[in-house]
Amino acid sequence: MKATIVALVLLVAGALAPVIFAGQPYALYVLTLALCYAIPAIGLNLLYGYTGLVSLGHMGFAGVGAYTTAVLMKDVGLPFVPSLLAGAAAAGFVGLVVGIPCLRLRSHFFIVVTLAVGMILFTLFNNLDGLTGGAEGLPGIPRPQGFAIGPLEVEFRSLTGFYLLAFTVTTLIFAFQYVLVRSDFGRSLSSVRQDETLAAARGVNVFGHKLMAFVLSAAIAGVGGAMKVLFLRAAAPLSFELQESINLVLMLILGGAGYLIGPIIGAVIFVGLPEFLRIASEMRLIFFGFVLLLLARFAPRGVCGLAEAAYKKRFDREEAVGIAHS
Amino acid sequence: MATAILEQFINGTMMGSIYVLMALGMVLIYGVMHVLNFAHGVLFMVGGYIAHLFFFNLSGSYPVAILCSMVTLALIGMVLERLVFRSLRDNLRMQIVASLGLILIVQNGVVQLWGPHALQMRPASVDSLVRVGQLSFTVQHFVIIGVVVAAVTTLYLFLRYTRLGTAMRATSQHPEAAVVVGIDPNRVYTITFMIACALAGLGGALLGPLFLIFPQMGDAPMLKALSAIIIGGMGSVPGAIVGGLGIGILESMSTLVIPTDYRDTVVFGVLILMLLVRPWGIFGVRVRGEN
Amino acid sequence: MVSPILEVSGISKSFGGIQAVDGASFSLGQPGIYGLIGPNGAGKTTMFDIICGRQVPSEGEVRFHSERIDGQKPYWLARQGLARTFQECRVLPEETCLDNVLFAAQDKRLGGELWQTLTRSGKARREAEAEARRLLRLINLERYADQPAGALSYGQRRLLEIVSCLMSKPRILLLDEPASGINPTLLNTLRDFLVEIYEETKIVFLIVEHNMEFIMSLASEIIVMHQGRVLTQGTPERVQSDKSVIDAYLG
Repeated sequence: MKATIVALVLLVAGALAPVIFAGQPYALYVLTLALCYAIPAIGLNLLYGYTGLVSLGHMGFAGVGAYTTAVLMKDVGLPFVPSLLAGAAAAGFVGLVVGIPCLRLRSHFFIVVTLAVGMILFTLFNNLDGLTGGAEGLPGIPRPQGFAIGPLEVEFRSLTGFYLLAFTVTTLIFAFQYVLVRSDFGRSLSSVRQDETLAAARGVNVFGHKLMAFVLSAAIAGVGGAMKVLFLRAAAPLSFELQESINLVLMLILGGAGYLIGPIIGAVIFVGLPEFLRIASEMRLIFFGFVLLLLARFAPRGVCGLAEAAYKKRFDREEAVGIAHS
Repeated sequence: MATAILEQFINGTMMGSIYVLMALGMVLIYGVMHVLNFAHGVLFMVGGYIAHLFFFNLSGSYPVAILCSMVTLALIGMVLERLVFRSLRDNLRMQIVASLGLILIVQNGVVQLWGPHALQMRPASVDSLVRVGQLSFTVQHFVIIGVVVAAVTTLYLFLRYTRLGTAMRATSQHPEAAVVVGIDPNRVYTITFMIACALAGLGGALLGPLFLIFPQMGDAPMLKALSAIIIGGMGSVPGAIVGGLGIGILESMSTLVIPTDYRDTVVFGVLILMLLVRPWGIFGVRVRGEN
Repeated sequence: MVSPILEVSGISKSFGGIQAVDGASFSLGQPGIYGLIGPNGAGKTTMFDIICGRQVPSEGEVRFHSERIDGQKPYWLARQGLARTFQECRVLPEETCLDNVLFAAQDKRLGGELWQTLTRSGKARREAEAEARRLLRLINLERYADQPAGALSYGQRRLLEIVSCLMSKPRILLLDEPASGINPTLLNTLRDFLVEIYEETKIVFLIVEHNMEFIMSLASEIIVMHQGRVLTQGTPERVQSDKSVIDAYLG
């Protein structure tokens, strides 16, 4: 399908980014940051795009993963991979604790709960000084240890090195999303989004599926949060406040919720476009505010949705022409 | 100890009154239009800024500034309803997206126009003090409580005894039937939105002088108001009043036992508890099929 | 003695102050097309909802092949072989007609789903698709196999909904007012179709219906409810001439 081709193109372009942006370290920096947002956006996509649940506090889960990984790597000295997995597990666990009581609620109420949970988590990050460093956060987070494969030296302290790590992690998370979505589990999630009552009547344990989606999306957000603080070498509560959660939703809607590559496109546009257009940081959010309004009104399926619609128009026209000629 | 409790009780009633204003606006919009307007917080904030503008640039009269703020917000509400929310009426997810978009535009727009630093506004009612036993409060504290009581009473009379108010109540209960009786739902929706925004503006204009006027000033109140209408019962006007006051008092009283940093957490904790135990709220109606 | 397929005993259900069902009992002993009828307020919809797991009875039991099913969740009932349609006709609007049918056959157990994707052989997949297409052919919708179900007309969706149920090889089929909203000219097609799939599956069909003509010409046995109780149970001819039934509808 055409979507697979686009995904492959992105994969190749992403892998070659250090080469493409060889003389422009700032561009690579922006791209790396974009990937650190793309990961939680993929998590949100699983929850919102495929299961239909809105979460307005999702960066809170990213924060749980971020602080867990940071503390394990900085204070305990654990290597990268176990720390990252622990961060994902911690975030997933918080998702479980929140999800079990709250997913039974009707959609309006659930959305408000996610908002409240996000704010509670932020308050905790800001005030549990012993654990999280409070408002100042945790500086001095080490980069993952490099290693050698034969003569090849792989390190993550340089921009290029970390970019490739972030790219690899993003690709793995994307692949995970792909497998989930294309599986029978993904089909059940989709049925929950389209018609819960019907899904239940056809044998889907709606609550169980929602919980699973919620936990997985929280864990993925945790991975994203961890990557972000590893990149910036510091964890601070402001990285995970309400505005950041709103930005995450924005990115996903912009790219296209319910499309596999939607979150990645959205993150890249959100983080990269203002840099590219040299929009000052204050105007950037106003700009995206208008973008959101336009999206809500005219293009709720985002960039991917617009692309799909445009493609269908051309494809249908060609088919009609073909019939006329035959 | 008793004085501390009294102090927090009065503070709580004052803040609770502000939450009541916000909650009433949100519950009207939700009850009549079934729209969850998350942008209500920034409208509250704009109310504060507009009041400041009129206070300094026009008359120096605080009441006039408040009135101008309410009128301006009502007009903004009319525009928003027509341009943004009308076409999204049955689409919950896109309403949320649009609300978020509005928040971004307005909050950052305000920063562009007025700068990121807080503004101060000191009408006479903030400078003069009132003694209650050993405590002293600004006159503004009681102005707020008094104005909100007046506003709520006016709203109640309006909803109960005027044609337009009755039309609003009818539309909230059964839109199709309301149309049959000759009510124009679009007009009702616009008026509802305008009233809700005016109330939000009033809230901002009242609270602004007491603390400060700054871009994020509406964020926490909006969430508290949202909590209030959920705890009180979505779509219930008495619920919004009870919820708003209750949250204000609970919040203030909690500072006697818990560090102030966790004040918001207490409110959200109660919200979550309510949603788990009794999601339809104190005055809400249990929907059949929910077990 | 062979136990009845579906047995409803002493079911009562009240909402607030309203007693919707008041000690209703009936049993379906063998495969057949059964109609559940009654005047407005008789409690037949509530009874149907209780059997389908949408409501929990205040009193009484429902047994399916001797196993108690009242109070169980709808998704559990579906996995026991209880398939149902909805009065408002529900299909997955964004999925293709083919996927709608295939979805019904998919194993929905949470753990099983991922495992199934990884292990399901190409052969099983092809067989499932062939069966799904056969079912679509039954209702003349094979040419719409790759169209989204939301694009179909109401009558077509109704047929799709029923045929999706069949894909899961149910042990009992519960139809909620299948004739509602169907054009009178299409009712014959619907009736013939239901007879055809009954002949093929030979399971219990329980149909709640308002349309007298439709249900009387279709069912082999009719259960009449009135004021929350079962008034009588018998063949269409006997029920139509039963005085108490006539009184219930006219009174």
